[in-house]
Amino acid sequence: MTTLHNTSTHSRPIPNPSKSLITKLNMGTGLVVGVIFAFAAYYAFRPNADTAGFYNQQNKALLAAMLFWSVGFLIGIGAFIGPFRWLIGKDLTAEEQLYLAGDGQGVKRYFKYCTDHKVVGIQYLVGVMAMLAVGGGMAMMIRTSLAVPGGHFIGASVYNSLVGMHGITMIVAMIIVATGPFGNYIMPIMIGARDMAFPRLNALSWWVLFTAIPVLCSAWFLGGIPTGWTAYAPLSVQAGPGMNAFVATILIFAVSTAVAGMNVTSTVVAMRAKGMKWNRVPIFVVGATMSVALAIPAFPTFMLAMVQTATDRVFNTGFYDANVGGSGWLYAHLFWIMGHPEVYVILLPGIAILMEIAPVFVRKPLFSYNAAIMGFAGIAGLSVLVWAHHMYISGWTPTLNGPFMVTTEMISVPTGLLFLVMLGTIWRGKPWMKLPMLGLFAVIWNLLIGGITGIYLSDVPADNYLHGSMFVTAHFHYTLMGAALTGAVAGLAYWFPKMTGRMLNEPAGYTAFWFTQIGFQVLFLGMFIAGAEGQPRRVVSFAAMYKYSNMISTGGAYLVGIGFIILLWAVIHSWRKGDIAPQNPWGAKTLEWTVPYPVPLENFDEAPIITSDPYGYGKGN
Amino acid sequence: MSNHDEELTPTPGQRAINLFRRTDVQRALLFTILWTAVFVILGLYFYPKWMPEVMSVDMKSMERIMIGFTIISAPIAGLVLGIATQAITNRHKGDTPPPDGPAVRTNGPIVAVWTVVSGIFCLIAIVWGIVEVNTMANAATTEAGTAVHVQVIGSQWVWSFKYPDQGVESDKLMLPINRPVVFDVISEDVNHSFWPVQLGVKVDANRLQTTVIHTVPTKLGNIDVKCAELCGLYHAYMETSGKVMTTDDFNNWITTNGGHVA
Ligand code: HEM
Ligand SMILES: [Cu+2]
Ligand SMILES: [Cu+2]
Repeated sequence: MTTLHNTSTHSRPIPNPSKSLITKLNMGTGLVVGVIFAFAAYYAFRPNADTAGFYNQQNKALLAAMLFWSVGFLIGIGAFIGPFRWLIGKDLTAEEQLYLAGDGQGVKRYFKYCTDHKVVGIQYLVGVMAMLAVGGGMAMMIRTSLAVPGGHFIGASVYNSLVGMHGITMIVAMIIVATGPFGNYIMPIMIGARDMAFPRLNALSWWVLFTAIPVLCSAWFLGGIPTGWTAYAPLSVQAGPGMNAFVATILIFAVSTAVAGMNVTSTVVAMRAKGMKWNRVPIFVVGATMSVALAIPAFPTFMLAMVQTATDRVFNTGFYDANVGGSGWLYAHLFWIMGHPEVYVILLPGIAILMEIAPVFVRKPLFSYNAAIMGFAGIAGLSVLVWAHHMYISGWTPTLNGPFMVTTEMISVPTGLLFLVMLGTIWRGKPWMKLPMLGLFAVIWNLLIGGITGIYLSDVPADNYLHGSMFVTAHFHYTLMGAALTGAVAGLAYWFPKMTGRMLNEPAGYTAFWFTQIGFQVLFLGMFIAGAEGQPRRVVSFAAMYKYSNMISTGGAYLVGIGFIILLWAVIHSWRKGDIAPQNPWGAKTLEWTVPYPVPLENFDEAPIITSDPYGYGKGN
Repeated sequence: MSNHDEELTPTPGQRAINLFRRTDVQRALLFTILWTAVFVILGLYFYPKWMPEVMSVDMKSMERIMIGFTIISAPIAGLVLGIATQAITNRHKGDTPPPDGPAVRTNGPIVAVWTVVSGIFCLIAIVWGIVEVNTMANAATTEAGTAVHVQVIGSQWVWSFKYPDQGVESDKLMLPINRPVVFDVISEDVNHSFWPVQLGVKVDANRLQTTVIHTVPTKLGNIDVKCAELCGLYHAYMETSGKVMTTDDFNNWITTNGGHVA
């Protein structure tokens, strides 16, 4: 069995353009050049502690160092060799291109600028898991600190930084949690493509994102991010040097999402197999594409908000400073014009994964493909019109609260369609309770709770009370973690055999499922109660009257923590020595299950031709 | 024989009867009712239990909405969870895929009814919300004349209160019962959010930009005043207390603090 797994199916000679510079470059050279660039930039702009402008100079020097680190790393890993060679009229040879695709390089290619979409998918998967692990560790520290009233475990400064770092780490991880690994690895195969439309941009999107990770981590050594993930001004302008790490992370990350979004949409539009008309595209592809397409217009406002934060901090421009005619409301608008669409950028792929899973595990067609499309499109369309529900109580224009309440509550109609599609698919079927399918049931519950509590929050009089409380925190964890993350984990269980050639360990998987899901309910039930009782969010210390609800929350959090450790173990263990997976363990009909493991460099020996959608399950089909 | 004919061309009435004879439909219905009951109980019993005492008109309207929205959404939640629970009771065990289900690709009427019904529920929520918002806005204008004015000043990390008409300053929020109150809120530094918890209102405090909220305290008792916007290091400790008192007690408090009754 293992022999089959390890047999390499190479028919052509392994490319080895040994004279070319690209063979010399890898993550190591990237790190070296990046660090040199960072120090050079810091030195060029080094602050002078004796001057009055020290604060501004320091921000300038740190921001320059962080951004130049990113550019230097990309130069050092060879990201720009292709365009440069093209510019001087000496495009890469065919052999060099094959080398860039990582052909025959084994594990080494994961540490290189590799254009194979499957390599990029694995890089994203490992990166996302690392970020979730770090973010989860911070969550455990937060909840430990909140186990008892009074905030004795960690100080206010560290606590505030923990909340900010946890928030932004998780948000970044969640934006890429599904479209990164599965959008890159699985999606091109699903649509019958040989690679992404722009393989070099694909590698670029990952490595740009990669450079943001050390930048974000540097915040710990610069005094932390004391503003929460929302980084409201003017607090962010007042904040210490750690804030620069936040600004630089978002600037870098926004470039990565723009590149990735353009690449994914182009791929889906232009690279589909012959015969794959729009109504035959697998639903995961539709959901993932809508998600990244929604991010393309959303992120630039966040970028702008960060540029203005940076200029306020470096040049005292005062965009957000009321003393010179600026306004913190400007920041809040820019932030939430990105922020609300972004929550659906996170949700849509997770739901789309479950819609891909459901037909396979009940052996029925997807119920109403059109309703699914309308649901996704309706949500994406409305989601750009609702941002000010985060600002009901900011006081900027109370008369506009009514209209924003209307648009926000309208989102529940397309959201309802997503429920209908999932329920219609499982209705009258016999669900096969494998791990991916358990995820579907968990998400139905979690998204329901998240949705209903969202309706309370969208109501102005209720939000007058609930805004800024633990209730909001519980609401968005039900949607982000309960729905989107659970959906992504279901996707991991589903596609694990295709991505690793092995089956995910089932007993460990089930144990992890029950620990995380039960722990999750306990954790956030406690938090809903704390919020209803009146406990503000982001507080290091709380009054004794919130004792029990917080204790419950912390208990639940530990269960979730245990669950995720078990899951992590299951993933690592199964990846290394799990049972060898058959080519199509679930009997699914989408194209990724027609290719062997390891998936050949260009996926298909013969280009597939599509004659129907992939949901032809069931009697009489 | 006649039975056989019916199956070929059942009338709508017979189709409905047949539908309810199916055990999966009956089971789904039963679970729907059970889950609906769970949510109704949650709304009626738990929210009032968890939320603090209702001490103002706004808190009353907030509580009405939490209970009302929970009960309105109970049948929907019940149906969703009813169908899901039914599916779980019908699950397939084993290591091979389950037998094929019916190849139903869509059902036009069901999609239409689902959309329209969720639209109606959504409309109820919207209308309810708009009515409440309007009532609050109207009350704010009509009662402004008789109101007590309180200037609320947030600064890192304390609240202070000025009563300009009475000429009193305080670090505790004292209010007379059954008299409208208008809060003019401002910050001396970064954003804060003024939250007198039991009054059920909240508004951000911004630098150089006054924001206004209004309410009517309706019950005697203590108030917790908190900050609901992360405002730096000691945000968690930016709290104080207050009291809703009888008019006489309030006037006494004013005069003992060197103010004059207005
Ligand atoms: C029917 C669906 C939903 C409605 C009506 C809704 C409504 C709202 C409202 C009104 C708020 C603002 C609360 C406040 O700050 O006072 C809010 C916050 C939030 N929601 Fe939702 N929501 C829905 C679904 C979702 C989904 C699907 C996600 C994510 C996948 C999500 C993520 C968030 C986040 C992250 C916040 C808080 C952001 C922060 O202040 O840190 N929501 N939601
Ligand atoms: Cu939102
Ligand atoms: Cu505060």
